Amino acid sequence: MKELVCIDCPNSCQMIIEEFGDEIKVSGNLCKRGVEFARRELKNPMRTISSTVKTIFPDTPVLSIRVSNEIPKDKIFDVMKEINKVVITKPVSVGDIIIENVLGLNSDIIATSNIF
Amino acid sequence: MSRIVSEKSLNNKLREAFNGNVTVHIENNCIRVTGKLDNWDDIIKACRMCVSKDKNLHVVNDIQLIGSKIPDMRLPKEHSKELEGERPDVLIVGGGISGASIAREISKWNLSILLVDKEPDLALQASGRNDGEVHPGIDLNKGSLKQHYVLLGNRMFDRICEELDVPFKRRGQYVCFSNRCLYPLIAAFAWQRKYICGVKDTRLVGRRELRSAEPNLNDEFSFALYNPSAGCVSPYGLTIAYAENAVQNGAKISLNTAVLDMDVKNGQILSVNTNKGTLYPKIVINAAGTFAEDIAAMAKDRFFSIHPRKGTNSILDKKVAHLINSIASAKFIMKQKKTNTKGGGILRTVDDNLLVGPNAVETYEKENFATDRSSIEEVFNKQKKTAKGLSERDIITYFTGVRAATFEEDFIIEKGRKTKNIIHCAGIQSPGLTTAPAVALDIEKMVIEQLSEMQQVTRKESFNPKRKTIPILREMSDAERTRLIQKNPDYGVIICRCEEISKGEIIDALNSPISVPTVDGIKKRVRPGMGRCQGGFCMPLISQIISEHENIQMHKVNKSNTDSYITLGEAKEASL
Amino acid sequence: MKDYDVIVIGGGPAGLAAAISADKEGARVLLIEREAKLGGILKQCIHDGFGLVRYGEKLSGPEYAQRFIEEFHIRNIDYSVLTYVIGIEKTEHYTVRVVNTKGVTCYRTKTIILATGCRERTSKQISIHGTRPSGVFTAGTAQAYINILGQMPTKKCVILGSGDIGLIMARRLTLEGAKVCGVYEAKDSPSGLTRNILQCLEDYNIPLYLSHTVTRLFGEDRLKAVEITKVDEKMAPIFGTEEIIECDALILSVGLIPENELAESLHVEIDPRTKGPACDQDFMTNQAGIFTCGNALHVNDLVDYVSESGELAGKAAARYIYKDREYISIDTDNEFLYFLPQKIHIRDIENEMTFYFRSNQVLKNALMTLSVNGKQILKKKYRNLKPPEMETFKLDISQFKLTGDDKVTAALKGENP
Repeated sequence: MKELVCIDCPNSCQMIIEEFGDEIKVSGNLCKRGVEFARRELKNPMRTISSTVKTIFPDTPVLSIRVSNEIPKDKIFDVMKEINKVVITKPVSVGDIIIENVLGLNSDIIATSNIF
Repeated sequence: MSRIVSEKSLNNKLREAFNGNVTVHIENNCIRVTGKLDNWDDIIKACRMCVSKDKNLHVVNDIQLIGSKIPDMRLPKEHSKELEGERPDVLIVGGGISGASIAREISKWNLSILLVDKEPDLALQASGRNDGEVHPGIDLNKGSLKQHYVLLGNRMFDRICEELDVPFKRRGQYVCFSNRCLYPLIAAFAWQRKYICGVKDTRLVGRRELRSAEPNLNDEFSFALYNPSAGCVSPYGLTIAYAENAVQNGAKISLNTAVLDMDVKNGQILSVNTNKGTLYPKIVINAAGTFAEDIAAMAKDRFFSIHPRKGTNSILDKKVAHLINSIASAKFIMKQKKTNTKGGGILRTVDDNLLVGPNAVETYEKENFATDRSSIEEVFNKQKKTAKGLSERDIITYFTGVRAATFEEDFIIEKGRKTKNIIHCAGIQSPGLTTAPAVALDIEKMVIEQLSEMQQVTRKESFNPKRKTIPILREMSDAERTRLIQKNPDYGVIICRCEEISKGEIIDALNSPISVPTVDGIKKRVRPGMGRCQGGFCMPLISQIISEHENIQMHKVNKSNTDSYITLGEAKEASL
Repeated sequence: MKDYDVIVIGGGPAGLAAAISADKEGARVLLIEREAKLGGILKQCIHDGFGLVRYGEKLSGPEYAQRFIEEFHIRNIDYSVLTYVIGIEKTEHYTVRVVNTKGVTCYRTKTIILATGCRERTSKQISIHGTRPSGVFTAGTAQAYINILGQMPTKKCVILGSGDIGLIMARRLTLEGAKVCGVYEAKDSPSGLTRNILQCLEDYNIPLYLSHTVTRLFGEDRLKAVEITKVDEKMAPIFGTEEIIECDALILSVGLIPENELAESLHVEIDPRTKGPACDQDFMTNQAGIFTCGNALHVNDLVDYVSESGELAGKAAARYIYKDREYISIDTDNEFLYFLPQKIHIRDIENEMTFYFRSNQVLKNALMTLSVNGKQILKKKYRNLKPPEMETFKLDISQFKLTGDDKVTAALKGENP
């Protein structure tokens, strides 16, 4: 039996997880996202990250970015290394892909603000 | 009473008080106290016991402090030969209110003037760390230099502040009393101050008048001693203004420049060694504040001692400025230590903040400007009795200053005793801001007199006593403000939201005669970051403006000193 | 002088939502923003988690703002950036005086929506003493340096206060290669959301120390170290528990205060509990025609609620007709940290009313009741109430036909774990 707090949304449900082989039983969750969170969290915890990338534009020295999908928690710093290599040289809009399928993790690095 | 007798009886007293660890020797021109003690307060006590009524004899403290190290003077990190070989007629050591006002008055003459200060800006020590009161002189009895100059200085403020374009307000000062029984005593005191001491504006006001002028003071006050001539000014603003006017009139100012030692032969300073090279001044003016004793020692002319005394003031949000319209303090019957300067009070600054304090604590650390919680509590506990509604919750910031007191608690304004080409302007503590304009005129006379013996000194025809300050847009009419903005749109971009300071005013500060391109330098000149958010919103913008204007990288922008960097470089170091 | 029905002051999430919603109602709207770009503080909140309630998506701050900015521009609403309000005068309507690069301009308006957001408490407001080196930042200032200017404010820091921005910054700085020695909180429970404690601190092995505070700063130029001291239940430092931690920065996340200087200049009544204006269900203050919303009203923990209050205030301001209002105030017990709105205007009640509240302390299995003249009209159960987590509910109050003599009370009960 394990205790977990779901961080999927601000409700922060305090859940109790019972494992039966591959199956799990979750209680304390307010919605089914809690079950999914618990399943992932036990096997392969996933997280999102946000950061910035350097640009050549003096008015916007850095551009905000994030991952489009969650990435494995233990890959966070590897992805950061990739993010830190980028320099933006052209105008960008929200949602534009900055790094496609970063490290083959099925997640893109996307712009979250504009540079005109 | 002969000197020998008094020395003997003094030594007896000292032996009794300090178990023979302290002795005194009355020398030609000073009272030297020697020995070893392990407590700074005891050293102060011992030296105070030796203070003489003879005004020409000052106590020199040579008692060694056991067990604690008195910190060395903090020195600038730069080293250069920038000033090597310069031969100014006048070298002023210290860029506080004394040094700056002296530089300005001497700049009326065709002389080369160099003012040095070890700090990265003017007025960074006592002159920038006080309440800015222009004192009426009510607390001083006749006979001291302080009293002589405070009356002269106070009267000069309207003219000086007009010439230098510095905001000044005569708000008036109330010293309040609760106990009605004291009235006859205070009335006699007021009479003495008015007619004997010459504090002509002194009068007593009754409860009703006090209440109508200051409705938020303690209801228990039954009368007050009132001096309408008391005023307030920005102490660093006035210092900078004096220095800028000196620079406009040809004086040179070198910041981050510390005097390290001097070559003195036959009662004459031959050269002065600094971190920026060796100088050969004709006259040195010692306006070094808490370090005046150290400068005197370098000049082999040490006949007084400075015992630093720190005090903490709090600044309150403008929202509560309505609590007090003037300068107010309370006198409750208790035995006040006579040797300290006036206790704390509440003052409405020229910028309409309330300033509460200061307290007074003896210290051997001349540059420990750290604040502590207990000082603020002490001051507030006292001042809550002065004004109801005063609350620590309204504090937006606080600061500590260190006063440069002599044991006689008076100024030393005189030519060197052993060394001829030095003039001391030392022991300048409260009311040193008020006295500065008058003291500067006397020092000017001393300098001219002395230099005239060596060379012909002539008045500068082109001397311009007027200095123009940076426009304060928030105080202008809409039409005037619009006119300025249309000339320079930067005046329409508000950077500091709390104090309503525009980008144009900040750039003006960066282009001013003594530009100090640091966050604190800008703050002292045009006030961004002085408000309730304390720079939380505007600091990044100001770093950016400094970086662009000075063409330096952002991480080279400092708060104040070298190495007080704000950021550590770019977060992303990728390159193309 | 140009005339408007609604002037919105502040172009952050509250102001944008208010302007859009007032525009939808057909009002002539002007939005005034002092910065160069719209979006307010969201511009620097690059982390995700915004818009979960509203869009069911985890957007970053700039993306969330962008959705509103786009709609704002599509609607062609008047706005003025790099424009600062220097004063508001009450005449027949209101005259708003602003300054920008063109000079001083005045606008006339029937109503004003104050969407001025909040500011951070500073080191001086929590009585931090010692020397005054560089390297002491509020979390928001550090966030502006790193996320907007791309400048590292620290390589090794201590964070004081477990407010959400502090937690977010702990993760942000760690991702950028800085070391966060720990997050220290004077209270005995964290101030930020539980999910932020987990995903910002625990994920990155950043320790959280409760009942600890910073008592002294060291360093003459740049910060060199801080002194940490344990505190007792009353948050007073315990002598003898001091510990020195070397670091180059102290980052403060010690609370937010609604910015209401303009409101105060208009004599708007301020609720000491929220530190924002007291208002009715239309988000109107005690000054007729002056509305408030977002973090200027009370500090929200989710931007979704900021937008919601903006929308409600915008709609009400657009529909506002000057009429004397009759109010009854809502009496609340001490278990609430605060309860909004503070009063109900009882004439012409339209639609349902939105309520917001926070509990004063952690409560398990709590029951919130709303009563009219002692008779319960609403009961709501909460498994877990925490002061950092705001609760909201809606209720159609028109059904109760309230009159000026009625007494409305809100009560909160729960187990104190």
